[in-house]
Amino acid sequence: MTAGSQAIRLSAWTRASRAVFRPARPRPTRDDDERSLAKVEWAHLIGRVAAERDAAAFRTLFEHFAPRIKGFLLRTGTRDDQAEEIAQETMAAVWRKAELFDPATSGAAAWIFTIARNLRIDAARRAARSVQVDHEAEQDYLADPAESPESSLSRLEETSRVAAALQRLSRQQSDVIRLSFIEERPHAEIAEQLGIPLGTVKSRIRLAMSRLRNLLDQPT
Amino acid sequence: MTIVHHPPEHLLAAFAAGTLDPGEHLLVAVHASGCAGCRRFVRAVEDLGGAALESAEPAPMSAGAFEAVMASIDGAATPNTVAAGPAPGHILDDRLPAILRNYQIGARRRVAPGVSLHPIRLPDGGGSRAFLLRSDPGTRMLEHSHTGTELTCVLKGSFSHDGGRFGPGDFDFGDGTVDHQPVVGDGEPCLCVVAMTGDLRLNGFLGRLISPFIRL
Repeated sequence: MTAGSQAIRLSAWTRASRAVFRPARPRPTRDDDERSLAKVEWAHLIGRVAAERDAAAFRTLFEHFAPRIKGFLLRTGTRDDQAEEIAQETMAAVWRKAELFDPATSGAAAWIFTIARNLRIDAARRAARSVQVDHEAEQDYLADPAESPESSLSRLEETSRVAAALQRLSRQQSDVIRLSFIEERPHAEIAEQLGIPLGTVKSRIRLAMSRLRNLLDQPT
Repeated sequence: MTIVHHPPEHLLAAFAAGTLDPGEHLLVAVHASGCAGCRRFVRAVEDLGGAALESAEPAPMSAGAFEAVMASIDGAATPNTVAAGPAPGHILDDRLPAILRNYQIGARRRVAPGVSLHPIRLPDGGGSRAFLLRSDPGTRMLEHSHTGTELTCVLKGSFSHDGGRFGPGDFDFGDGTVDHQPVVGDGEPCLCVVAMTGDLRLNGFLGRLISPFIRL
């Protein structure tokens, strides 16, 4: 092989820093290394938005997350125009609240999910033109479990306990919770997707949640 | 204060997903604001939400969406929701959980001897209603079941029924499968937040006499 045709291997960190300054490209199928790299990338980009109001970093975040927020909302039954609006409002909130994001205690995708979730609740209530409750403000009272008198764990201990519990849940168990509660799929679809009997879906959901609760309540 | 009774996991998971109706949402939020274990569970389900977001099929944003977002940021527009202000001082007990400051609490209304309530104004959607319920020590509630669901979170004092003793922070979930007669603990009044869908099904001779006149 000549030097010219030899593939240039970029280090993982070089790839990551280049992604900050280049618009996002369609990505190949991820393996675990790329997935954890992506997590560091998103947290890093949010950090740049927080510290430097970096519009290029924000664009990369936008191009990755906005269509996924919109797609997720469409899949769970939100109207097209509302899904577009909530996706835009979520990304605007990501910009405004970037300095509140703590990568040590939260994944970027989970953080962005909670913002979209709150905005979706607000939109549903607004439609009724009635009393409004500020669901983002409510989050202030639902702070990290560590920031409370009844928990003796530090923020990092709380985060690693949650992460450890989710890891110890079987793949099928975390899938069944995600598909039923987050993605609101009907049981028939869950049964088909996971290759399990329809009649067992309800009890598997209950079992998975009970197992998750037990894992979370145990000291690691 | 040791919390013994927690919301069932399906309520916590739905809370994390943002799919509860306003009454259920209020009750779980009040309990979770004082319970690290339940907040931990909510957090775990939110992490699954993040995974769902990452694996969602992307839908193309409209042309100019990014520019629209940048423009809205520069305008620093304030959110459009009208946040509920704090309730008037003479109603708001300073030992109410701070999270309730997010809600409008109405005037006190007597329901029965030793029992009064303050309605809590909820956003529409779901047909649930909520209120602060205040009962004198030792009050024996009417035996009842439910046509819908009744969620209760104790703020002060306690009550007991055959499901156990419920003190500050404890969460009680009642539906048509229960038929209970709560008794308020001695020593101090019991203050709870309650959310209900459907109606009470008052049983017993006295209950059936009174039920046309009671609407909680």
